[in-house]
Amino acid sequence: MAEVTLQDVVKKYGTFKVVHEVNLNIAAGEFVVLVGPSGCGKSTTLRMIAGLENISAGTIRIGDKVVNDVPPKDRDIAMVFQNYALYQHMTVFDNLAFGLRNRKVPETEITSAVTRATQMLGLEPLLARKPFQLSGGQQQRVALGRCIVRRPQVFLFDEPLSNLDAKLRAQMRIEIKALRERVPTTSVYVTHDQVEAMTLGDRVVVMKDGWIQQIGTPLQIYNRPANRFVASFIGAPAMNFMKVELVEELGVMSAQAEDFKVELPLEQAAVLRKHGAKMVILGIRPEHIRFGIPSDNSGSSFSGVVTVTEQLGSEQVIALNVADSTMMASRISPETEVSPHASVQMWVDAKTLQFFDDKTEMAIR
Amino acid sequence: MIALALHALRRAIFAISIAAIFVVFVGPIAILGVTSIRPASGVFYIWRGTNFTFNNFVEVLHQSQVVEAMWNSFVLSTSATILSLGITVGSGYMLSRFGGWIQRSWFATIYIFRTVPYISWVLPLYLVNTRLGIYDTYVGLLLPHIAVHVCFFSWLMKGFFDGINPSMEYAALIDGCTRWGAFYRVALPAAMPGIAALAILCWLSTWNEFLFALILSGKRTPLITSTMAQFVTETGTEWNLMSATAVLAMMPALLVTIFGQKYVIRGLRM
Amino acid sequence: MTARSTKFGVDEKERFMLFLIAPAGIVLVCFEIIPILIGMNASFREWSLVNPQRTWVGPKQYIAVFTDPVFLKMVLPNTFVLMILSVGVSLALGLALASLLNRPFFGRAIMRTIILLPLTIAPVITATMMRWSFNDQFGVITIFLSYLGLPDVAWLSDRWPSFALVIMTDIWIWTPWFTIILLAAMQGLPPEPFEAARIDAATPWCIFRRVTLPMLRPVIIVCVLIRAIDAFRTFDQVWILTGGGPARSTEVFSVYAYVLAFVDLDIGRAAAAAGIGALIMLFVGVGLYRLVNRSMEVSR
Repeated sequence: MAEVTLQDVVKKYGTFKVVHEVNLNIAAGEFVVLVGPSGCGKSTTLRMIAGLENISAGTIRIGDKVVNDVPPKDRDIAMVFQNYALYQHMTVFDNLAFGLRNRKVPETEITSAVTRATQMLGLEPLLARKPFQLSGGQQQRVALGRCIVRRPQVFLFDEPLSNLDAKLRAQMRIEIKALRERVPTTSVYVTHDQVEAMTLGDRVVVMKDGWIQQIGTPLQIYNRPANRFVASFIGAPAMNFMKVELVEELGVMSAQAEDFKVELPLEQAAVLRKHGAKMVILGIRPEHIRFGIPSDNSGSSFSGVVTVTEQLGSEQVIALNVADSTMMASRISPETEVSPHASVQMWVDAKTLQFFDDKTEMAIR
Repeated sequence: MIALALHALRRAIFAISIAAIFVVFVGPIAILGVTSIRPASGVFYIWRGTNFTFNNFVEVLHQSQVVEAMWNSFVLSTSATILSLGITVGSGYMLSRFGGWIQRSWFATIYIFRTVPYISWVLPLYLVNTRLGIYDTYVGLLLPHIAVHVCFFSWLMKGFFDGINPSMEYAALIDGCTRWGAFYRVALPAAMPGIAALAILCWLSTWNEFLFALILSGKRTPLITSTMAQFVTETGTEWNLMSATAVLAMMPALLVTIFGQKYVIRGLRM
Repeated sequence: MTARSTKFGVDEKERFMLFLIAPAGIVLVCFEIIPILIGMNASFREWSLVNPQRTWVGPKQYIAVFTDPVFLKMVLPNTFVLMILSVGVSLALGLALASLLNRPFFGRAIMRTIILLPLTIAPVITATMMRWSFNDQFGVITIFLSYLGLPDVAWLSDRWPSFALVIMTDIWIWTPWFTIILLAAMQGLPPEPFEAARIDAATPWCIFRRVTLPMLRPVIIVCVLIRAIDAFRTFDQVWILTGGGPARSTEVFSVYAYVLAFVDLDIGRAAAAAGIGALIMLFVGVGLYRLVNRSMEVSR
């Protein structure tokens, strides 16, 4: 296990910068997930750590060693690829043994390492097969096995589950999580899937257009997004946004739009007052928009018109038209009976609201 | 009723066109084949008479030049295939996997020299070979037969590697391979089916090659195509013997077509 | 992998790239590029094999070639007529055959094998058997045609029948090539557009014109490019079938250069002719490449 440090790492293609001054410290044994939409630079960052792309500026350290100019084979890393990247002409056993043989490990040790890994992943019956005889899930399991037999300093995962179907993906996610407990290793995991990011990462790095947007634990990212992009990218259905005006009447601040008004608690009002802007963007998570009328005085209610309902069994997502034109999603109990075009009463707890600057879109804290 | 008749008519037209294609492509070969097993007296009007003989083949195979030419062509085709593929596989890999000015200029070079008509460089090559004293030798024949494949094969090899996902090689780089190791131990085995197909086509095209044989080979190292051409253009009347020679020269092509069809088609499609 | 450059300005990755192309590059330089240069040198000299004085005569040989009526009236038109007709007709027939074979029927496997034969058999052999089959007196096909009541044609004695035979032979060889490639391409096409067209009640001809052809376009363009370049240097069939005759009337470019060098033994003049051919092909090749690139972009 080793720590991985990225310091002002830049990647340029010609004059076009695809990764901007990335700074990231990954502790030994930590599992960090890089997440973002396609083209955000997350895969490039991972490939720079692997040494598959050279870096245009900055420093990458694995352990104490600067690896800027070290070829991938000498970085002591292992990588799982989206399309598994198994050696098509070798059996599963040879695939697993390939890296060890390259490092001149004695054959007896190779056998025992491969056996250990195959037991862990349940691959024993497949050892003599070739990759094309395996299912997608099995191939990805072999790819994982290829990593763990080597016992490298760092695991790198490049969207390893995105070629699998939804059910298998959920299953493999759990296996990767279980594997972490058994083979604790510093890991960097790239994905565009926020569920993987939330469930696997000790820390999550959200990227966009080559810039890091936020680094934090999954809960920090979810509950206290640094900006509007992070808030909208993490969470499904996405956070609702609405442009509101801040109005103070008799010392009470409220966020208002047409047919919409929420009174804000004192601490939040203080933060917003300090920020100064009159027009801000209000963000509400769908689960915080509740159906009906608050039982006590803890929330503000407003009305909306239901446009679509999506019954999921465990929950129900409804799309609302609020304040004339703003669409909002709300997560409510599956038992609640609502029908399209119905006018409904909803309420929010003001403590759950997030505010973002209208121009910079940064969270107001 | 009309629909049924139309349907039958369509089927008939289809069957007739298939039969016509069959006749067009098999006819000339069949004429050659039949001529090769007719005695000299039965060559004209080959469909008359029933006397068939294998003497033509026996006679042809007793001519040392024909046997020698077939052997030379065999050696030349085999070695040219191995060497052509050997030197173009790296070139194709480079074209497929890398970018930048080196790749672009090499690609342009290959394209431009592919367009140069063979005669334009084989003619002066005749002068070079005579000067170097390798005219009409294996070496003097082999190297041009490799050079002729450099451009096109690099292009085809690029196609093979384009069809292989490069992440296998990335995995190999991480698994402890050098760049060469990733190419040689991982990418190359994966490209093998394509390369095998190309090997068959390369062997055949060298066996069938005529212009180089005509210009660069002589009495010492005769090749099968130039020997055949000599029969046709110089002696020109013993059609039974000529056909027998042609049938012998055609054997590799027939064998490959029947048994290696899959590879030929795969090679052509690239 | 490293960003460091050596003093030559070539980093480790570029060294590997050069290493990969080195063998091919060396062979190309020694056995193609250097001969071309030698040929260019020879083309400016009075250089005959029987009397090798090699005096420098400037562009005289090029002028001689360009004022040679055989080159202007026979060789150039023949070469391009062969190129256009052979490529055009083989493409059309190839498309037709591929559509015909692109459906299951009894004996399809055998048909596929049979159309491979012209491609695997040496053009020299093909030309030999065509020459025999179309022999003026005893050729089976000649006799069969007159049996059908068609007028007798002395196939190899007059210019146009001879040249027609050359072109037919070339088409016989290359139609299967187009067929195989186009058939493979047709089988690789996604089925959805065809299903959609059938639901839209398109006729088979309409489907072929509006769906199949546009989707095959990139393949067709590349095939035509490759074939056009190769058709220019056709030699084997012409040499065996007619030897350029009668009276040099079926000579094409490669035959013309060959005859100058090895029959007339005039190396200087032959080198000039070869050089002219190479230059023509350079322009044709670059032009075609541009055209291909542009039409590929359009179809994308």
